Amino acid sequence: MSKTEYVSPEGLRLDGRRPMEMRQLRAEIGTVAKANGSAVFEMGNTKVIAAVYGPREVQNRSQQLNDQALVRCEYSMANFSTGDRMRKPKGDRRSTEISLVIRQTMEACILTHLMPRSQIDIFVQVLQADGGTRSACINAATLALADAGIPMRDIVTSCSAGYLNSTPLLDLNYIEDSAGGPDVTVGILPKLDKVTLLQMDAKLPVDIFENVMGLAIEGCKAIANYIREVLLENTKQLEYRRGL
Amino acid sequence: MGLPNASGDLSTEVEVDAFRRLFPLRFFEKHLLESIRPDARPLGRARDTTIALGAVASANGSALAKIGSTTMLAAIKMEVMTPSMETPDEGCIAIDFHMPPICSPIVRPGRPAEAAPVVAKQLSDTILSSGMINLKELSLVSGKAAWMAYLDIYCLDADGALFDAALLAAVAAFSHLEIPVVSLNDDGKIVLSEGQGLSDREPVNKEKRKVNLGSIPFSLTCILHKNHILADPTSEEESIMETFVTVVLDSSSQLVSLYKPGGPVLAYTSAIQDCIALTRQRVKELRKILEEAISGMEVD
Repeated sequence: MSKTEYVSPEGLRLDGRRPMEMRQLRAEIGTVAKANGSAVFEMGNTKVIAAVYGPREVQNRSQQLNDQALVRCEYSMANFSTGDRMRKPKGDRRSTEISLVIRQTMEACILTHLMPRSQIDIFVQVLQADGGTRSACINAATLALADAGIPMRDIVTSCSAGYLNSTPLLDLNYIEDSAGGPDVTVGILPKLDKVTLLQMDAKLPVDIFENVMGLAIEGCKAIANYIREVLLENTKQLEYRRGL
Repeated sequence: MGLPNASGDLSTEVEVDAFRRLFPLRFFEKHLLESIRPDARPLGRARDTTIALGAVASANGSALAKIGSTTMLAAIKMEVMTPSMETPDEGCIAIDFHMPPICSPIVRPGRPAEAAPVVAKQLSDTILSSGMINLKELSLVSGKAAWMAYLDIYCLDADGALFDAALLAAVAAFSHLEIPVVSLNDDGKIVLSEGQGLSDREPVNKEKRKVNLGSIPFSLTCILHKNHILADPTSEEESIMETFVTVVLDSSSQLVSLYKPGGPVLAYTSAIQDCIALTRQRVKELRKILEEAISGMEVD
């Protein structure tokens, strides 16, 4: 057991945050001109760019679905995104797993039956990784889908939480994530109050797990408020430009 | 030009868009007759260019370059390696260019874009042959340790002139590069030192130092169509008119590289000389933009 203190006796974490405090959020819509929808999402030092292409014609006819849209997702990390330069940014197991997770999470909220025989591509690229990349990718994908005008049941927001030094911590950064303690990632549909993604590593007693999951859900709701503000601001800008 | 237009009168918005999609070449030629392009640029002018240094905080040097909508993010990471036997006093630069699927609707995941390895090779050749970086500067201990600089360039938005934007981002990243401080530890291995030197000798300066850049290469891609020369094409223009010429000049206006990979239009020497003249002008603009970006960083 290492003696590193992740939460100091005064209640401050390694980067000066309180245990229930999230990192600073920043989002921008419409960054990739060529894409139908795109967004950049930052959670502290984790920076992710997402682009959505679709609905468009299915590229591989054999995969076409006659009653709903085909959703594809690819997650990749830039070579310089982590501390040491990565050799294989995509195609390795972690990237394939996260691509699958993001696809299934977003598929749950897109109204695919409205766009049969079409394809929606979600591409996520991690530019800087400092913990919570999975959550940042899902948040960025939500914004990009909204920017593309794809009909959805609700926005999906995601946040992670952990448990170190007997304290539930919200929004882990890379150092806290690598500490070996549990890491709970939650994705919810805030208005419908439903959980669409729930992943956890390491061991945790069930009652503490409920606390930590509750904390992550609070984090998701805070992100949902921020995302709604960003989308509202974007819509106002579009109205001004159209002269309404 | 003998066939009548599908819509003789182009006054309504919808018909212009349809004409643009259905008859792209005629749409462009109508504009070229007036010596202007659909985005209102004169034929020899490039799009608005911006450079932001230090875009990636975790890299040793980085830059984000935008030419119009084309966006390139370049980042350099330094690692220590053993130099090869033939060049014990020189470091090494590895240049890699990626086009992730976010940049363009025609790039599919699993299948890399056709343009990516071509631009990567072009960049590699241009940067290494231009003499911008003296590899001997990247040496640490002769024969035992030297720096390997990994330059990764990611295209975040592909809207024409990929090579120009990538070269600009690479050059800007090198001008932002700071070589980290290292020292020799007791095992004779090089370690990154935090703050002051910990042990024995310090093969490099006591503080992070910048790389001395020789002559910096800048480039301009031009499209040749009949007897017009269009500077800095967008992706729409590139897909319709396929003959392009890329000229790379360095800051002392010497020709570093000239690239014309075939194409339906044959160029006379006068056309090539016009391209070089356009590039010369562009080099002045780009130098100014780069210098402003660098001095902006130093003020911080």
